[in-house]
Amino acid sequence: MTRKLRIRVPALRITPWMIWVGLLGLALVAALAGGVLVFWKGLWITNLTDLVPWGLWITIDISAIALSAGAFSLCAIVYLVGLKRYQPIARTATFVGLIGYTMAMLSLLLDIGRPDRFWHALIYWNSHSLLWEVTMCVMLYLTVLLLEAMPILAGFPFLRKRLPKVADRMGRVHHYAPYLAIVGLALSMLHQSSLGAVYGVLSARPIWYKPEMAVLFMFSALLGGISLTLFASMLAARVTPKARINNLLTERVAYAVAWGLVGYLYFRFWDVFAQHYTYAPGRTEGLELLTAGPLSFNFWILELLLGTLIPMIMLLTPYTRRNPFWRMIALGLVVVGVVAFRWDTNLSGLLVVMSYLPGQAAIAYTSYAPSPVELVTALGIVAYGLLAFSIGVRYLRVVDHRYAVDEQEAARVESTETVPV
Amino acid sequence: MNKRSARRDFLKVAAVGVTAATAAQIIKPAAASEDRAKGRRQWAMVIDQSKCIGCGYCTLACQAHNDIDPDIQWNRVTPVDKLAGKDVFLPRPCMQCSKAPCVEVCPVNASYYRPDGIVMMDYDRCIGCRYCEVACPYQARSFNWDAFNGPNPAVPKWGQPEVARRPRGVVEKCAFCYQRIDRGIASGLQPGADVDATPACVVACPTGARIFGDLNDPASAVSQLLKDNVTYRLREELGTQPRVYYIAADAQKMEG
Repeated sequence: MTRKLRIRVPALRITPWMIWVGLLGLALVAALAGGVLVFWKGLWITNLTDLVPWGLWITIDISAIALSAGAFSLCAIVYLVGLKRYQPIARTATFVGLIGYTMAMLSLLLDIGRPDRFWHALIYWNSHSLLWEVTMCVMLYLTVLLLEAMPILAGFPFLRKRLPKVADRMGRVHHYAPYLAIVGLALSMLHQSSLGAVYGVLSARPIWYKPEMAVLFMFSALLGGISLTLFASMLAARVTPKARINNLLTERVAYAVAWGLVGYLYFRFWDVFAQHYTYAPGRTEGLELLTAGPLSFNFWILELLLGTLIPMIMLLTPYTRRNPFWRMIALGLVVVGVVAFRWDTNLSGLLVVMSYLPGQAAIAYTSYAPSPVELVTALGIVAYGLLAFSIGVRYLRVVDHRYAVDEQEAARVESTETVPV
Repeated sequence: MNKRSARRDFLKVAAVGVTAATAAQIIKPAAASEDRAKGRRQWAMVIDQSKCIGCGYCTLACQAHNDIDPDIQWNRVTPVDKLAGKDVFLPRPCMQCSKAPCVEVCPVNASYYRPDGIVMMDYDRCIGCRYCEVACPYQARSFNWDAFNGPNPAVPKWGQPEVARRPRGVVEKCAFCYQRIDRGIASGLQPGADVDATPACVVACPTGARIFGDLNDPASAVSQLLKDNVTYRLREELGTQPRVYYIAADAQKMEG
């Protein structure tokens, strides 16, 4: 008894880690209570209505998926393009992606009316439905991500100690990384674009009804996903010695993000600018919500100024790009911009209520603000993501840019071996 | 080398095969019920706005016969205009589109076409994602945000429930009282002509503003009305091809 106590006492010393985990735990408990409430009472306790059936949870869903896009793109760069030196960043991105997709699953579970029937999409196929396509791709890609993350998860001290054989086998999945990268690339290109097309094919909602939706979603997801991976890595390296980053690597990727932002801004500019001309019922009203209405702060400040233009300039300017702090801030801003874009896109289509009558331009606006239960559960989903990442940093070395040097060497030896013809 | 190229060839063939199969699946036109030869009967509704007085009896009859939550209306009547000092109303059931966006987007095929053109909902299959609600240009769909457990205030005054209540968490909509049509036909009645085989809203309308019938039957009341009147459909520019036609209000024909 006394012996046990003696062991416990030093463990109870409060560390910043414990405070952090405690705070996240509180958020998780609150969200769990909120989730139980949603399942028990039903969705009427949310602020969703028949006019605005998709709200905060769907925004989290599509944002989390977008911000996971670093996984497939960096894996493709490392294993398919062959830029092996970025492998440690791809490793982090894979872990971030796994977290992101599970966050999306959690928010969907809350959002759909019959979570007990989520598997229906797997057996009752409607191959014309983009949402079906997204569901299938996401489920398959989640499997790919799990396999890709196997070598990372194998690093759990518990697994390595208690089940060394299992851990060893999990680690060897890494051997298939190039194949997984191919499948991941195909699935992700499909569903990241289709998520935009989910909105883009609806002729009933004129502000969404345009072919560039798929392109914009794909493009912004790439930038946001890579930015989040770098931002999270750099932030982790600032607060804990467990995370090690390679300054030069992050700077190079950040430079690529900068030019990506230039391209994205070009697309987004013409997307908005072209729609600005000629009045189209519903579309013009939707655009007005963004440029002058309740979404204007999001649109001008969060999405365009802070989320695209400023990080673009910061990452193109050598001084701010080379300074680790400003680089990190810029990358974080890109993430904010992507989330703001998702939120704005969803609401600019839903808040406009169209008239049914021919020739009658009477168009009404509705409004939406998430209810407390939506906010609490959404916070909990974010807390889950932060907790999972923190655990990864602390116990699995997910942010360690020195990590793969030996593997890289091994690959180099393999590639220089003579192949008998 | 040989082994390697064989694998490559196999991958190529596999890739082409998968692409072709996917393309065939996607390019194949949606099973649009536009093809009128498919079903012998094609149900449609004509609503004469000159006759509609906005009493809302249709809504109430609908609530009773389909056992609908009082918070939900499958059949809304809204004032839209004034003509010669009188209100003009727009009653809106589900438009039963021939190219229905809701059917296209449903990830689980819970929305589907019947051969007679009615857009149906499979309430046992719906997962409650509400994509159909977002896609519908007419707001004809309602989500069961809450369970409907209490008594239905429209019963028995406006009729008796004929279908099962929908559970919480699924989307529901008007289906042209398919249960009345089917039971009516089974007992030898003619939908549109016989009261017991006709949608409840049409039967309940005190001014006869709603007319129901078969588009494929040139003698049916709807075919006659469509022939003799200028009609319009809602948001026709979207190409959804609704089966609910409107005769615009005419000041001289307006009812009290």
